[in-house]
Amino acid sequence: MKMLIYGLITGIAFGFLLQKGRVLRYDKQLGALLFKDMTIIKFMLSSVLVGMVGIYLLVDLELAKLSIKTTLLGGNIIGGLIFGIGWGLLGYCPGTSAGALAEGRWDALWGIIGMLVGAAVYAEAFPLMKQTVLTWGDFGKITLPGILGINHWVVIAIVVIAGLLLFSFFEKKNL
Amino acid sequence: MADLSTNDGGWSPYLAGGLSGIVSILSVWIAGHFLGASTTFVRTVGLLEDFISPERVAQMEYFIKTTPKIDWQWMFVVGIFIGALIAALSSKSFKWQGLPDLWQKRFGSKSQGKRAVFAFTGGAIAMYGARLADG
Repeated sequence: MKMLIYGLITGIAFGFLLQKGRVLRYDKQLGALLFKDMTIIKFMLSSVLVGMVGIYLLVDLELAKLSIKTTLLGGNIIGGLIFGIGWGLLGYCPGTSAGALAEGRWDALWGIIGMLVGAAVYAEAFPLMKQTVLTWGDFGKITLPGILGINHWVVIAIVVIAGLLLFSFFEKKNL
Repeated sequence: MADLSTNDGGWSPYLAGGLSGIVSILSVWIAGHFLGASTTFVRTVGLLEDFISPERVAQMEYFIKTTPKIDWQWMFVVGIFIGALIAALSSKSFKWQGLPDLWQKRFGSKSQGKRAVFAFTGGAIAMYGARLADG
């Protein structure tokens, strides 16, 4: 029960910020895919950079554990490409579709129904996927600091600097 | 430095994004949960199918792995709806719109049917890909 309330509160805070950042809209999502408006990239990458530093601090202080997903090239690459096609057609992603609907963009409802159908189809196809795509290129639970054999703060510093350079490029180009 | 607000009353995506990073840190710290949304669609459709045919759902490998139930992430997605609603209503940026501006510019203002087909198909394809990539 406590977890459900944590989930609800976290969602309310996150949904509020998604709307304030104006990233829920079709025009913003398509804008990024067309390389014309990088608002959603700025939002996502800012969130990732801040989250990365904070969560690794928690891990170092032994206050949290990472939840590393398996690097599975078959699933990651093919799934990513399929996701991109669908995302470009819909113009909302799974999390933001709920927020887009809340903002009054009711075409997101078609997307939500479609996503439920997609999930149902995947559940049917899972046994086949498990024997095929999900066996290709399994690298296990790897991380960049792990395979490079260097301290994670070196990787974090490089990613933060690269992110800030990308931001300054966006601002220069008025994207 | 970029402005901290946009011309339509929104916040800078750097500010809103950075704050959402803090939300994710607090979530991992306090609840031990990383943010995500797509598993919720699996659980929801599992709950719907369970309503129709519980015997079948109980045998399906994917629903054994991802149990149809209301969990932290399910409430997180509900929360996104509520939070976005609060932000939109309190800033008067709520807009009842079935055809996005950019879409209308390309396909015209009478393309509701086409939008429904594109959005539905796109949603189904996107979710299949997201699950395959374990995203």
